[in-house]
Amino acid sequence: MGMDRSAERSAIGKIVKSNNHVDYVCQVFGPGEIDQTPPPADYAFGTFVSVQLQEGALGAGRLVGVIYNTLLLNPEFGSLGPRLSPRADIEIFSPDYLSETATLVGVFTVGWFDAVSQPAQGVPAAAATVNALVQRLTRDEVAQFHTDRGGRLALHYAPLLLNQNNPLTPPLLLAIIDQLSELFSGSRSQLAVMRNNLAWKTIVQPIG
Amino acid sequence: MSDPCIGTVKGPGETPNEFTFIAPDPERRVKHGEFVYYVGDVDGTVRPILGRVTNRRSVRLFPDNFMADPGVPPAQVAALLGYDSDASELFEITVAVLGYFAEQMHEFINPRVPPAGGAPVFIAGNELLAEVLSKRKRGERGSAYLGSLLSRPDGAVPVALDVRGFTSTHLAIIASTGSGKSYLAGVLLEELMMPHNRAAVLVVDPHGEYTTLRDDMPNLPVFSEGNYRPRVRVFTPDTIRVRIDTLTIGDLRYLLSNLSEKMHYQLSRAFNFAKRSAKNGHYTLDQLLYAVRQTGEGKKDEENFDDEDPTTGALIWRLQSALGNSHIFHDFENMELDELFKPGQCTIVQLNEVDGREQQVIVATLLRRVYQARMDTTKNKVARGDRTYMPYPVFCLIEEAHNYAPANADAVSSEVLKTILSEGRKFGVSIGLITQRPGKLDSDVLSQCMTQCIMRITNPIDQDKIASSVESVGRDLLKELSSLSKGQVIVSGASVNTPVLLRVRQRITRHGGQDLNAPEEWLTWFAEDHPAEEARENALFTEKKITYEEDGDVLWA
Repeated sequence: MGMDRSAERSAIGKIVKSNNHVDYVCQVFGPGEIDQTPPPADYAFGTFVSVQLQEGALGAGRLVGVIYNTLLLNPEFGSLGPRLSPRADIEIFSPDYLSETATLVGVFTVGWFDAVSQPAQGVPAAAATVNALVQRLTRDEVAQFHTDRGGRLALHYAPLLLNQNNPLTPPLLLAIIDQLSELFSGSRSQLAVMRNNLAWKTIVQPIG
Repeated sequence: MSDPCIGTVKGPGETPNEFTFIAPDPERRVKHGEFVYYVGDVDGTVRPILGRVTNRRSVRLFPDNFMADPGVPPAQVAALLGYDSDASELFEITVAVLGYFAEQMHEFINPRVPPAGGAPVFIAGNELLAEVLSKRKRGERGSAYLGSLLSRPDGAVPVALDVRGFTSTHLAIIASTGSGKSYLAGVLLEELMMPHNRAAVLVVDPHGEYTTLRDDMPNLPVFSEGNYRPRVRVFTPDTIRVRIDTLTIGDLRYLLSNLSEKMHYQLSRAFNFAKRSAKNGHYTLDQLLYAVRQTGEGKKDEENFDDEDPTTGALIWRLQSALGNSHIFHDFENMELDELFKPGQCTIVQLNEVDGREQQVIVATLLRRVYQARMDTTKNKVARGDRTYMPYPVFCLIEEAHNYAPANADAVSSEVLKTILSEGRKFGVSIGLITQRPGKLDSDVLSQCMTQCIMRITNPIDQDKIASSVESVGRDLLKELSSLSKGQVIVSGASVNTPVLLRVRQRITRHGGQDLNAPEEWLTWFAEDHPAEEARENALFTEKKITYEEDGDVLWA
């Protein structure tokens, strides 16, 4: 199966690197790489994305990840030497050079959709490949991903996230919980317990 | 179950009968001593398993540093940092399990296994508590409605004592001065005299606090039903009579102070002589004195007794002064048992203005006689028509009980009290002790009272005494003793299903034991123009004095 047209349209970037089995770096498409560059909201902190798995990969489907970090790549940074030509000229005469600036986002894998779009949370067996396309999940997909077989809200990956020892994970989880409270109004009280507990541990306790 | 869920079981507590649960409790509903339950499976039936809150420990609190400025609530500091939830406190609450209520046995049975972790915990509803805490319903035959559960709104959970419980295994009301013990005793007496109880009660009243019962009780419609109307009989100190021949040798020895060995010996001989020579067992003081002379050394001829014998003289002098000069000890008159004890009658024996030793002797003789009468009646030794025939059980309420059974002293009444407390249930003689100094009360006496009403006690000696002699009250409740307010009482023991903290109900009759309002009376004295009067009198007095002095009458100087 070739690349899905619609998937291509809504792709926000491609995998360029991984730090470990669950931690990928995605380069957000810049001008020239795609018809329409993705709006910043599509690769914002806490956004759920999917990573297309290669055909034939274990139970092929899509990995589901969440954007937990953003890095700006700028080779020009630090070279404070005299400018030979104004920026407007460079855009015309050497546009390739300009494209070397990039926005990278960190994607933490929290589960997957299998070939028949059944969601599962946890560490996936399959890994993504370089250049795999990264798409933003729709509202419905986020809701589907967080619903277990019994129809209940699932947040099984939360411990995995919190064990990352990354100062950004508690706010990430808080952001996720806030998104989910909107999607799952019936589970608000459970989410509130979770949120209060997390907020207490990450906001009140460290300061006190 | 429609009761509000207030927490979640955490797990077993420190002792096998405890469990802990976690509750945010923002409304502060989980009070100390509050009754809560979880739902458990007992032999296939789902039942509420009750417990009492015994401790509260915080598991989540704002950090101390957030409270650096008293003007800034810590929640505001937390909100500043982004924590804007109301859920800032979390408590671990310890519950002592009472068990499920077994209707047939009318008591709580401990399931002997802690609840499953995560099980919801509910606040027990008023109806459930009213059903299970008291052995009897309010107003039911054999019930004594004392008040309502303290942790609930006034009157929401009425608690009634089982009168049968304390009239067989005795009662103690322990409270320091001013905490409302006489008020509680008044409530208890009211209940006993209600148409649903119609008890035969005697009150030993050393302060004259219970006369209001006589004035109010027979006239209030709530106490009457059909032909029944309670009778309140008051024996004032000048109408109290103890016939001399009802005194035992022990009583006599107790009344006569500083007896020598020889006097002791002669007194017991004289006592036996008087008993032997008396007709129908009755003898007078003169006959007793005669017996002393008869048993003394020296002359024994009829007309000329030899009072020269120092032992005889001293004994006679002591008997005269103890018995002859007292209006209480009488040759012929006695308070007859059938005057004192009758169902539907509350007899108040006022002992104010009576000497301490005489009080003890009066109580001892009364108790001894009633106990003997009940023994004789139950053993069919006396029959209808005998003055000692008492075919009904009796209840004696004794105020200032530490005076009649003191801890470290010998009182003539101690022995009979102890006998009744240990054996009285067989013969239907029960005792209610009221004391403000449990530390001064004989420990055997206190531990024999199986129903306890304990009010505020601040003295640590008294608290220790209660802890050591009252087993039925849990340690957690004893911790409350010093923090109880006036009119709050811990009731435990045989007459309730589990120890409960009550607010004593309003009395129907007036309370007689109120404190004097000294500042009020001082002001009244001024308001009534006494100072001017006094000034006039003083002026007259000075005038007279001067006159007398002018007359040269030095007697006035």
